[in-house]
Amino acid sequence: MSRKLFALLIFASLMLGACGGAATPTIRIGINAPLTGDIPKVGEGTKFSAEMWLEENGGTITVGGTEYPVELVIEDNESKGESAAAVNTKLITQDEVHVIVGPQSSKQAVPAGGVANDQKTPMISPWSTNPNTTLDRPWVFRTPFLDPFQGPVVANFVTDEFGFTKAGVLYDVASDYPKGLAEFFKSGWEDIHGPDSVVAFESFTTGDADFSAQLTNIMNAGAEFIFTPQYYNEVALIVQQAHELGFEGPIVGSDSWGSAETVELCGEDCYGLFFSTHYAAEGATGATKAFIDKYNENYGYVPDDVGALTWDALNIVKQAIQDCGEITGDLEADRLCIRDAMANIEEFPGITGNMTFTEEGDPIKCAVIVRISEEGLFTFYKQVCP
Amino acid sequence: MTTNSASTPTIRQRIRALFSRIWEPYRSVPLLGWLIAALVAVGLEQLVGLPLARGLGLTKIPALFGAVVILSKPALTPSALLFTTLIYILPIGIVARFTAPLTNRIAAKLAEYPLVVTALVHLVLLYAVLHIWCDITDYRLLVARLAMISIILTLSLNVVNGYMGEFSCSHPGFMSIGAYVASAFTIVLFVSENRFGEALLPPALGPYMFPLALMLGGLISAFGALLVAIPSFRTRGDYLAIISLAFMFIVKSFFENMEVVGGARGISNQPDYATLPIVFLWTILSIWIINNFVRSTMGKALNAVRDGELAANAMTVDTRKTKMTAFLFAAFWAGVAGGLFAHVLRYINPDSFGIRKLAEVLAMVYFGGLNSVTGSVVGAVGLSLISEALRPLDIFKWIIIPIMLILIMIYRPTGLIAFTEFNVEKIFLPKGRAPEGAEHASA
Repeated sequence: MSRKLFALLIFASLMLGACGGAATPTIRIGINAPLTGDIPKVGEGTKFSAEMWLEENGGTITVGGTEYPVELVIEDNESKGESAAAVNTKLITQDEVHVIVGPQSSKQAVPAGGVANDQKTPMISPWSTNPNTTLDRPWVFRTPFLDPFQGPVVANFVTDEFGFTKAGVLYDVASDYPKGLAEFFKSGWEDIHGPDSVVAFESFTTGDADFSAQLTNIMNAGAEFIFTPQYYNEVALIVQQAHELGFEGPIVGSDSWGSAETVELCGEDCYGLFFSTHYAAEGATGATKAFIDKYNENYGYVPDDVGALTWDALNIVKQAIQDCGEITGDLEADRLCIRDAMANIEEFPGITGNMTFTEEGDPIKCAVIVRISEEGLFTFYKQVCP
Repeated sequence: MTTNSASTPTIRQRIRALFSRIWEPYRSVPLLGWLIAALVAVGLEQLVGLPLARGLGLTKIPALFGAVVILSKPALTPSALLFTTLIYILPIGIVARFTAPLTNRIAAKLAEYPLVVTALVHLVLLYAVLHIWCDITDYRLLVARLAMISIILTLSLNVVNGYMGEFSCSHPGFMSIGAYVASAFTIVLFVSENRFGEALLPPALGPYMFPLALMLGGLISAFGALLVAIPSFRTRGDYLAIISLAFMFIVKSFFENMEVVGGARGISNQPDYATLPIVFLWTILSIWIINNFVRSTMGKALNAVRDGELAANAMTVDTRKTKMTAFLFAAFWAGVAGGLFAHVLRYINPDSFGIRKLAEVLAMVYFGGLNSVTGSVVGAVGLSLISEALRPLDIFKWIIIPIMLILIMIYRPTGLIAFTEFNVEKIFLPKGRAPEGAEHASA
């Protein structure tokens, strides 16, 4: 300890002697993204959104009348938990960022959140839905709504819209997001229609491509519709195979459907289907439309929810920094100030809906039900609020 | 330097000659000398590193010898290089060289004591270097701990893939068994408000019981290995590879479907027991025990099995028992590594122990060298550090590392340092045989 103090003293005297007046401190924002690994598309969306955000803000944030330069430190976590933790440690101790945006998926966000919380640095994950990411971690926030909310939203929507009573569920047991959501949907559905109203609860394992056995079981059990919280590549296969087997009812999905690839792979089979998500790209207005148009213009495709949620996370960070009132250059004080400001944000007008954080750092926000139109576009259908 | 006067030496020869002239005085530096020199360097960094870094225009002390700085901000390359030279290369070079007579004398003295004493002195020094080096930033601390866990894992896989000459793919599976068992053990016993209920024992006891948790993880991994070994050791080569690969997926699926330990969501909130000294101790322990194992009669029998199972059998080697023991032994250490990994990261999920982990460990084994303890250490530390240092390159990292592996496979098909014996007694000895120096220069 005394050695550190000694080194610090030397450094302090050196700084005083050499620099004289201190320049305006730079605000550093760390981006912890999966640029390589299993889900590079997610990493790309994060990176593009962040770069666009920086450009939009002209590389500065004005706090209390002073303009501070902003620097983004984008690091790759290879879509691995241990790398995400290492990246967070590096961002916090080496790059001395004020706040971290990311990581995206829960398997990286949970260990990385632990690091951020231990090192007292605010972190906001734009995409992670695992409760453990923010649980008992005052320094960690997120922007998506949680699965315990989304599950019942879908259950209620199907009940109101179609009046069905018998549900079939098909999900990936080896992937934490679909599995969690399938279970929350099941309990939400059974709350409304009573036990055993989910007539078929079928699972498969990541990488499977033939779902005919499970789909046959679901059809034989007499399910009126299928809920499948899967990713785009599986959605296409599931929907097409269900139709080939002669399933007539609707197939309903969750926010993981919200990728441009879904329609591309699935084609006409997916037209007319519904899913719940964070925002609807088609028919958007105001800030959401401005974001989508700009992104489309810069990078040539309509952003999926990761891009939009990252955009919101960065704007929440900006809001928190501005609410903070002053950036002193004392890293610890600034980080605390940003955290407190973030926790106190109320009714933040994001492009994925208005957000207020709970004590756990999870947002209270509305979900959107999207219908895939006959042109294959994601059109706004309905908004469901908690 | 009076080399063959007839033909002028080529550039390559001249560089080699220059290099060996610089290297010459260091031939007589014992391990002790290097350790003391490293200690001086890290101490120097601790004392003047920060002002020096600031003076050179760097914001912080470069964490990994400047590699990250050079790759992410190329403009600062001279500063980073200068920093590394001033803090590491020069002090280590000077101290190692000029204390050589002294350290040689100490090493000679130490050689008179039992090996344990000599080894302890060196280990304490090594730990001191590591501790002070990691004290600069938490980033180094995490990288160092993960690298040491990789050492255990690589070494244990080398027992099977190197010494035994089989191709086993189930190591991530063993690792995950160890990780889950150790996590469940510590969480059930010492973490209050966990998923299993209240803590059963006072948390203060936790750190003392941690070795037990790791060993239990290791033992259950070894039991898992028994389940693979019984059916699969009737086969060899590709078949074992396939069966062990299947085992890895079975274990992964098993944990994905076990709701008690969080299923695919994984399990978090492991207590922070895997600190630097603990990980260091276990790493040293694993190197020591595995090294003894492979140099024992059993280890020789293992090599005999690798070179010809029938021949070994004819020479009275109990091949089945030998193979079983080695496989279970390797699985035990993989389990221990998994337990440490879980407590460093404090979160595990089945997905962490999949095919990507397998690729990582296999790369470390084949990069470092088959059938060699030193090779495994070099492979694990080398790949961990390279992978961390190249992080700023994003996708290009995954072009550079594979190219490196391909080059190694072309020029050194068995790895960097393969088929060597790690003789503990020999490395501590003083190195005073100077007279052969002149020979080396022209060689």
